[in-house]
Amino acid sequence: MNDKKVVEIKNLVKHYGARDFQTTALKGIDLTIYKGDFIAIMGPSGSGKTTLLNILSTIDKPSQGMVMLDGQDVTRISNKALAKLRKDKIGFIFQDYNLLDTMTLQDNIALPLALDGSAPKEILARTKELAAMFGLEAQLRQYPYQLSGGQKQRGAVCRALITNPEIIFADEPTGALDSKAGKDLLQCLCKVNENGQATILMVTHDPHCASYAKDVYLLSDGTIKCRINRGNDRKEFYNRIIDLQTSIGGDFA
Amino acid sequence: MSIIRLAFFNFKNSFKSYLSLILSLAFTILVFFNFQNIIYSDVFVLLGQRNKDYIDMLIEVCLVVLLCFLFFFLWYATNVFLTRRKREIGIYIFMGMSNRKIGSLYLVEISFVGITALAMGIGFGVLFSALFQMIMGAVSDLAVDVRFGISAKAIKMTSVSFLCMYLFFALKGFWNITRSSVLNMIMAAKQNEYLHVKPIVLLLKAILGIGVLVLGYYYANKGSRYDTLTNALLAVILVIIGVYLLFGGLIPLVFQLLVSRKRFLYHGQRCLWVNQTIFRMRKNYRTYAMVCIMGICSVSALATGFAMRNRYENLVAFDNQYTFQFLSSQSNIAQTTEAILDGKCTVAYQSSLCALVADSEPLLSSYTDVQQMHLLLSYSDIVQAAKAAGVTFAFDEPANDEVYYLSHLVLLSFITNGEAEPVTIAGKTYRQTQRIMIPYLGYLQKELGCLYVVSDREYERLKEKNDLIYYICNYKLKDDDVFNFEEIRMAFDTIVSNTEENYTARVSIDPYSNEGEWIKALHSLCIFMFLVFIVASGCIMFMKLYNDSFEEIQRYAVLKKLGFSTETLSASIAHELATAYLLPFAVMTVSAYFSVLSLGKMMRADLFSVYVVSMAVVSVMFMLFCVLSITVCQKTLLFARDNR
Repeated sequence: MNDKKVVEIKNLVKHYGARDFQTTALKGIDLTIYKGDFIAIMGPSGSGKTTLLNILSTIDKPSQGMVMLDGQDVTRISNKALAKLRKDKIGFIFQDYNLLDTMTLQDNIALPLALDGSAPKEILARTKELAAMFGLEAQLRQYPYQLSGGQKQRGAVCRALITNPEIIFADEPTGALDSKAGKDLLQCLCKVNENGQATILMVTHDPHCASYAKDVYLLSDGTIKCRINRGNDRKEFYNRIIDLQTSIGGDFA
Repeated sequence: MSIIRLAFFNFKNSFKSYLSLILSLAFTILVFFNFQNIIYSDVFVLLGQRNKDYIDMLIEVCLVVLLCFLFFFLWYATNVFLTRRKREIGIYIFMGMSNRKIGSLYLVEISFVGITALAMGIGFGVLFSALFQMIMGAVSDLAVDVRFGISAKAIKMTSVSFLCMYLFFALKGFWNITRSSVLNMIMAAKQNEYLHVKPIVLLLKAILGIGVLVLGYYYANKGSRYDTLTNALLAVILVIIGVYLLFGGLIPLVFQLLVSRKRFLYHGQRCLWVNQTIFRMRKNYRTYAMVCIMGICSVSALATGFAMRNRYENLVAFDNQYTFQFLSSQSNIAQTTEAILDGKCTVAYQSSLCALVADSEPLLSSYTDVQQMHLLLSYSDIVQAAKAAGVTFAFDEPANDEVYYLSHLVLLSFITNGEAEPVTIAGKTYRQTQRIMIPYLGYLQKELGCLYVVSDREYERLKEKNDLIYYICNYKLKDDDVFNFEEIRMAFDTIVSNTEENYTARVSIDPYSNEGEWIKALHSLCIFMFLVFIVASGCIMFMKLYNDSFEEIQRYAVLKKLGFSTETLSASIAHELATAYLLPFAVMTVSAYFSVLSLGKMMRADLFSVYVVSMAVVSVMFMLFCVLSITVCQKTLLFARDNR
């Protein structure tokens, strides 16, 4: 475990709606993510998972509290600085891949570096390296519509990793995949995390998916109810997650 | 909610997105109405019935062209509208609406669009009609006082023509919706997959396209005496096919090659906009080709207008070289006419010379079945006449086996090469080495069509064999002194005779004649057609790109989520749209050059300056539309409320 704090959240509160009809999605969350962490956030529908992810990924702003990302308070910086922070420090993996259908997989992976003005030689080398790591070398010249869901999602992981971000936010990364493709993807994520290449925060409702993380936080009613650590046995970790889900109740679908 | 209320609600809420379609339609209606209004108003009656008839005929030709354009434009615009609405109204399927009801909803909604466009087109048309007539009068340099007149018949004709065509396409859309499957309507939004074309197919298309286009350019510039019309028609067909193949083959191929060169591609926003351009090219190449062809047509129309005007002015100058000319068998014709003219007005310059009429039997041209009269002039005489008129005679004396033909200008000639037939005179064949278009003998050159210049020696030799000589006498009166033109002409009429002993013919050119005023109107009509087609091309491009931008919203939302700055994405959009305008412009620039070159040959006019000016106007217009497209698309894609 590395002691470098990548994300630090203190007393995070988020309200929605007008004053008289206000609902509170997050009720004072504290969370610290260190470099090398692989965290899964679970919780029933309406527990505030997506709100938390949106605020962490700087797409939404909190009503109250502090969010430090790589030493910068994202609640206090300009939109331009936020966009830069998002581009340089954060990698995104979406449930529906969000690859651009107008370009090949290779161009999709290379896009963040190309737009950032990196040297073409370096971009090419990095693209090929990541593609090799995720078993996508043969698919580089293909367009998204020619790829399977698993290949698309692995491509999206490559795109997220290419800028060497401080943290990767994954929103239900296996949500659109079959169990085999989902398992392959999670193994890949574990691999890059264990190699020290990525700190990952993943939002999921799937206990099997969560069991690949090192820590699972259970969110309910806008607060973190508990945190469990994987230890050495993933199967036993999976059973503990199921037990916890049962004890909390609610709709995890 | 009733269908009409729902349609009105939809129309009101989506008015902003329909605005480009409404404005484009309104603009076409405005132009159409103004042309109709000229026909039904009496603004050009003052030019005389003949000119008015010619102008009406020209406007009718323009109206037919505009009607054709309106037809295809409506076809295109309603198709774009239908695809867009299909996606949105497809959702009503889930609300339990039948296809027929959805079709009715579409019909009512598109009717609102059409009626709004018609009202705006006629409204602005009425407001601008005086301005339109004034500009046309001013550009044509016509001596007409413009009276602001609105013709109810023009409003009626415009409305009926537009509504008939519009209704046809609206019903076509209705029929399309009622026959569409539910899946088809729901999936209309998802028909956005990249259709990859194999490079070999593109290569074949590219080779074919270049070949066809080059062949088209070749036919456009092939000089010919007899097949010019066939060549021009072939050129038009080949250029149209070539342009389509170019946009469907060569240009995507070049871009695909660029994309495969990653060292080129991975430079800033290139990765994004080059890929986007290829994607759009596959879907929009027909639109680009259509815009390109419209541009070529408009530049050609403008060049025709200028060439006709230029030719007309040259014709007038040609005819007005002399005010009075006489051809007579009487040797004292010069003294007789001078006596008549004495004191009546000031002569600017005058000349007299002899023309030898060789015996018509041996005087046969290569068209041996036709007996023609040939008038032979000696080189020295014509040089003298030119000197008197202050015109340079820049030709050396012809050799003894050569003749120069004194020809004349025509408004439009389909003969583009200068090969001339040999002439047989008194049993000797002469080579026609010059076809002179300079009015050394003014209108007589046109009237007689049989004047040849031979060397002095040859003239003397032929004179010995033939004793029939005609005497030519030319007078140019000072233009500002011809107030009594009619009186002088009547005086000259007394010496006109057509007897065996005395043949005297008189030619008179009224310097104040306005017989050719209609050519000036043609000139301004061509300018208007040019502007109409260029603005219409811009409208089509704008509409297409604006419409496409709605399909891109999701894509740009992802890019923003990924953290790409607004500046980066704005620059990428600007590059992509600028390329979309630049490609048709580039192809248009090359093709229009050949088109104008061919026209110049046909009209015997140097139209290069017209080409440069028209391309400058086109580039300014395209630039304006490009900036507008970029601004609007950036706003739609990056600053839309639902795109954060």
